Amino acid sequence: MFSLFKYHLRSVLVRWRSTLATILGLALVIAVFILVQSLAAGIEKSSSNTGDPRNLLVTRQGALAETTSVITRDQFNIIRYLPGVARDATNQPIASGDVLIIINLPRNNGTGNANVMVRGIAPTGRALRPQASLVEGRWFAPGKREAVASRRLAGRMANLQVGQTFKTGGVELTVVGIFDGQRSAFDSELWIDADEARSAFDRPDYSSLLLRPESDEALLQLKKHLEGERRLKVKAVREVDYYKEQTRTAGPIKWLGNGLAIVMSIGALFAAMNTLYASVGARTREIGTLRVLGFRRRSILLGFLLEGAMLSGIGGILGCLLALPMHGYSTGTLGWETFTEVVFDFQITPLLAAKGIAFAIIVGLIGSFLPALRAARLPVISSLKAA
Amino acid sequence: MTAAPIVQIRALTKIFLQGEINVTALDSIDLSIESGEFLTLMGPSGSGKSTLLHIIAGIDRPTRGECIVQDRNIAALNESDLADWRNQNVGFVFQTFNLIPVLTAYENVELPLLLTQLSGKERRHLVTTALEMVGLDDRMKHLPKQLSGGQEQRVAIARALVTDPKLVVADEPTGNLDSHSANEVLDILRTLSRDAGKTVIMVTHDPKAAAYGSRTIHLEKGELVPN
Amino acid sequence: MTIPGFIVKNALRNKRRAALCVLSVAASLFLLVSLLVVLNEFTNPPEDVGASLRIAVRNKVSLATPLPVRQRPLIAKIPGVEAITALSFFGGKYKGEENTMFAQFAMDPEQLELVFGEAKLPREQLEAWIANRTSCIIGVDTAKRYNVKIGDKFQLIGQIYPVDLDLTVVGIYKGTTDDRNVFFHQKLLDELTGDLGQVGMWWIKARSPEEVPGVIDRINAAFTNTSAEVLAETERAFQLSFVSMWANIKVLISSICSVVVFALILVSASTMSMAIRERMRELSVLKALGFRRHELFAFILAESFGLAAVGFLLGAGGAWLLYSSVNAPTLTGGMFPTLDVTPRILAFSALVAAVLGVVSSLAPALAVTRMSVVDGLKTLD
Repeated sequence: MFSLFKYHLRSVLVRWRSTLATILGLALVIAVFILVQSLAAGIEKSSSNTGDPRNLLVTRQGALAETTSVITRDQFNIIRYLPGVARDATNQPIASGDVLIIINLPRNNGTGNANVMVRGIAPTGRALRPQASLVEGRWFAPGKREAVASRRLAGRMANLQVGQTFKTGGVELTVVGIFDGQRSAFDSELWIDADEARSAFDRPDYSSLLLRPESDEALLQLKKHLEGERRLKVKAVREVDYYKEQTRTAGPIKWLGNGLAIVMSIGALFAAMNTLYASVGARTREIGTLRVLGFRRRSILLGFLLEGAMLSGIGGILGCLLALPMHGYSTGTLGWETFTEVVFDFQITPLLAAKGIAFAIIVGLIGSFLPALRAARLPVISSLKAA
Repeated sequence: MTAAPIVQIRALTKIFLQGEINVTALDSIDLSIESGEFLTLMGPSGSGKSTLLHIIAGIDRPTRGECIVQDRNIAALNESDLADWRNQNVGFVFQTFNLIPVLTAYENVELPLLLTQLSGKERRHLVTTALEMVGLDDRMKHLPKQLSGGQEQRVAIARALVTDPKLVVADEPTGNLDSHSANEVLDILRTLSRDAGKTVIMVTHDPKAAAYGSRTIHLEKGELVPN
Repeated sequence: MTIPGFIVKNALRNKRRAALCVLSVAASLFLLVSLLVVLNEFTNPPEDVGASLRIAVRNKVSLATPLPVRQRPLIAKIPGVEAITALSFFGGKYKGEENTMFAQFAMDPEQLELVFGEAKLPREQLEAWIANRTSCIIGVDTAKRYNVKIGDKFQLIGQIYPVDLDLTVVGIYKGTTDDRNVFFHQKLLDELTGDLGQVGMWWIKARSPEEVPGVIDRINAAFTNTSAEVLAETERAFQLSFVSMWANIKVLISSICSVVVFALILVSASTMSMAIRERMRELSVLKALGFRRHELFAFILAESFGLAAVGFLLGAGGAWLLYSSVNAPTLTGGMFPTLDVTPRILAFSALVAAVLGVVSSLAPALAVTRMSVVDGLKTLD
């Protein structure tokens, strides 16, 4: 078998032009597959990367996302003083009512406007979200109409750099700092003071409530208590679980990636079959010789399958390499839950790369099967006579 | 054999570049061929006989020297004039027949006529005549793979004749044939020169085949061997 | 036999290869057309009849911020305004569905004919809707999809609003570009939410197209420096602002398109030129018979053009047949109301096919130029 492998390797190199084109074609298919899937992986990663497992997020029952949730001040006060909520040094409950507002801001590349999520947040809320760390400037001071933007958002929208101002809802806000959300969902947010947000956007109520229970048991008990309390009509989930659910946007992208890969690979499949048929045709006499030398039909078949797998494997690896430069590249799209711009990275995970290569090899095996069968079935004598 | 020679070759040299080395395939050859001759070129492999034939037929160019066919130095013609010239003046017969496999015997013979302005009716007449001449008028609708080797070669001869060229060149026309078929083909070629006034030039290494010719020339290492 | 006959016979010589060539071109063009269709749906939302007269008014903060109901009489008084309706996006879930792909709006039923005149609804159904506060009208596509008939109950679970709706279907309309939407009374929404005095948007019909820009300016000016500044824009501009939010998806799809086109040209061109390269010997026979170089070029070009053309017919034609016969909302999970293979898309993919034909004949044509007849005759494969 091994000697045959060498034979196939060398034969492949003889027809390097069409072989190269086939490999490159397949590489492009795989690169597209990996890139599109890496978008979905990026969204999923940014979602699964968000939150602290010790936190409990309370939203209105039936609300799909924080942006459509409402927690009244009464609810806020009832919930934060419930037993089981941790207290800070001054014996205040560690709970933060957040106000989420969607505002429409221009992009910095002139491609129109995008909806941006503004989070009105109290100091406790910042403490509960240590993932967002200040990298430039300072945090906002309450009452001074100040905002802090995530670095990634600031890179995509106009007027969000430190010192710049933007107008929304009749108020003018000044950006005084930039934070890094460390590839979490907070990377898509703009933060301002909670009370200021409520007054500036005329919101009597909060959108969501994030609290820190004393312990994990306390968390489970609080969750049970809150959801069992009919009057409150709230839903309580672990903060991490809430964000894990926020991946609806990834669904259609995955679907697109798979669909593209399948149709593209059908095209590549036909081309690969053509290359391999031509290869078999040109090597008819060699195949006859191999048979005379005592190689069985099965070895011939396996050899050509191997050739196909080898070619497509190379194509797959090449595809990964083509896609790799995009790894970590930050991009954004419209999030389906919040209807705001979601900023995330292309994430080319090892699993994704392996999937891509495996996919390529499968295409190669399918594409080489019929040509290989033809090679194996060539009658010995007449193939020897072939020109 | 009264008129001027149909082919006049003077100081014809052909040098191939093989890798880094120059190989002299033809070395200053002088040769004239009379109209109506059946000339056979013999010689071992690599003697230059096929190269000489190719140059006379206008599918290869000499490095130096003249090749005057019917008062024209074909070595000086440009690519597309040469193509026209071949179409009108030369009929080819190859060792491996080189029929187009997707075309029937009739269509293969008709192929060179597609380059002419002849009407369909005229073409049909010429094709039928050519096929009758090689005795295959009953095989017109057959594809090459449905014919025997000898029949295929006869179709190839008909294709060479259909444009009524003065010159018919044949490169080992019997090389791929059994002796019976070979004799049939050689008979046809002899008839062409004897009865139809064609000049036939044939490369062969089979002395029996060469015996059909009216004159035989031997080549060795690119030079003519005196008889 | 004729020259075109000869070319066709030659192209079909290796039927398997010709078929594989055509199929790979067809698969790629099918994909290209599909992507372009999706891109087109993203970029050019279908335009309604009467859209040129309509103006959408939203809160300047964003679409998600409501407008105070007190604005209505002020807007109605603005010269050039013919009709005004509230339009609040309810965004509920239908029955037990995970993703509901049709939109539901609260509006003023009396204004339907005035603002959305293209919605065809029998008069008695419209009257029934106006008369019944807990009734709704639904688009014919939604009615078909869920097999809902007049008189049926229609339940929606609120996502944006903390209320659930229990509606009765009293009418089924058609004739708009998106016959999926469900409309119910703004008054019902107000009642259930406790009369907050808020609506989602205002939709306005101007008296004439000439007055639209003036009306827009006057509305925007009317609420400057109030607590609820508004953004009035034409319906088209409003739709396109949605589109612009998809900016990256558009970039993504168009870059995929270019990769697809490139891969297609690469692979198909190589296959096609391979097919021709394997006939080098025949081409040199033709050359020996007196065919000139440009005639051989023509043969090669005609053949690769022909293969590309058949691939185009199969791929683009197939896509066209498919997308014009399938139910687009069902296929895309309700994402796109239509999948239109526009003449532009067809023309573009035809152009790609033509380029493909030329590119794939380049390599063999070049080889023919370089080939000497003698070498060509020696080529065995």
